[in-house]
Amino acid sequence: MSKHIETKSDTWEIGGKTLSSRLLIGSALYPSPANMEDAIKISGAQIVTVALRRQAAGNTDAKGGNDFWDIIKSFGIEVLPNTAGSHSAKEAINTARMAREVFGTNWIKLEVIGDQYNLQPDPFETVKAAEVLIKEGFEVFPYTTDDLVVAKRLADVGCKILMPWGSMIGSGKGLMNPDNLIAIRKQFPDLQLVVDAGIGKPSHATQAMELGYDGVLLNSAIALAQDPVKMADAFRVAVEAGRLGYEAGVMQEREFASPSTPTVGTPFWHQFN
Amino acid sequence: MIEIIVNGTRTAIPNGLNVKEAVSALEYKGKGFALALNGTFVAVATYETTMVRDNDSIEILAPVQGG
Repeated sequence: MSKHIETKSDTWEIGGKTLSSRLLIGSALYPSPANMEDAIKISGAQIVTVALRRQAAGNTDAKGGNDFWDIIKSFGIEVLPNTAGSHSAKEAINTARMAREVFGTNWIKLEVIGDQYNLQPDPFETVKAAEVLIKEGFEVFPYTTDDLVVAKRLADVGCKILMPWGSMIGSGKGLMNPDNLIAIRKQFPDLQLVVDAGIGKPSHATQAMELGYDGVLLNSAIALAQDPVKMADAFRVAVEAGRLGYEAGVMQEREFASPSTPTVGTPFWHQFN
Repeated sequence: MIEIIVNGTRTAIPNGLNVKEAVSALEYKGKGFALALNGTFVAVATYETTMVRDNDSIEILAPVQGG
């Protein structure tokens, strides 16, 4: 009788929580709320990102018009509010404070955009905002580029989590500069690193995880797929596969061919070629 | 009456209101929103001690989908 062998990637800690899923998922751009709900559930994600926008007058409580927030709360998973739309440290700080009051969490995905064309984060304003928010007790998840020096500055002001981009937000281009991401991983072995933005295919997520990243955050890749629910399942598997591959230890690349089949005992007809 | 800007729209409210009273006058109900006055967050705990003045700008934000 054969022995049943099962492997499962390890749990991880981020922002004071121990989680089993390493996929962080966005809640935007889905064809419908029902589709969003199904996709988030099947993804197995334990962190979902949300945002704040202008609210019309009326009852803002549950059953008073905010169906979206009711749905998110019903998942029972961690909520990560963002500061999307901020273009300065001041705007981001105020949005973070508002988010903490509404969502009841000290987690904040810090986004300060520095360029409207490629939505590249503003490193100077991001570091400035991170420093203030950390002093106020926030757990800051900073969206940054793959620039090592910016990563250092964010770590210097107390960030325990870094979220470098794979490529531009919503581009689906994957990891533009894997070497830069590797450099950040090597420089900060003790920080939680999450690739945020630019992932388009499940294989991109697997690649990020194989680099030793602790997680991936994505939204468009799932929500804009032809079948978001199926794609959410694909990303669940892809992230798990990448993590298992990293934990298992990838073989060293070689510059030459090396047969995998033993050469000892090769039949005689090969010996005359 | 004074004129203030609420979420980008000019609106008239009675003079001499604090934030809590202004929110009520603007017919926002419940707790599912957060507020900034002239670009600065105002915590619920300080609504009653924060006055709204002519030409102030108020932003009232609530949860939405985000990436």
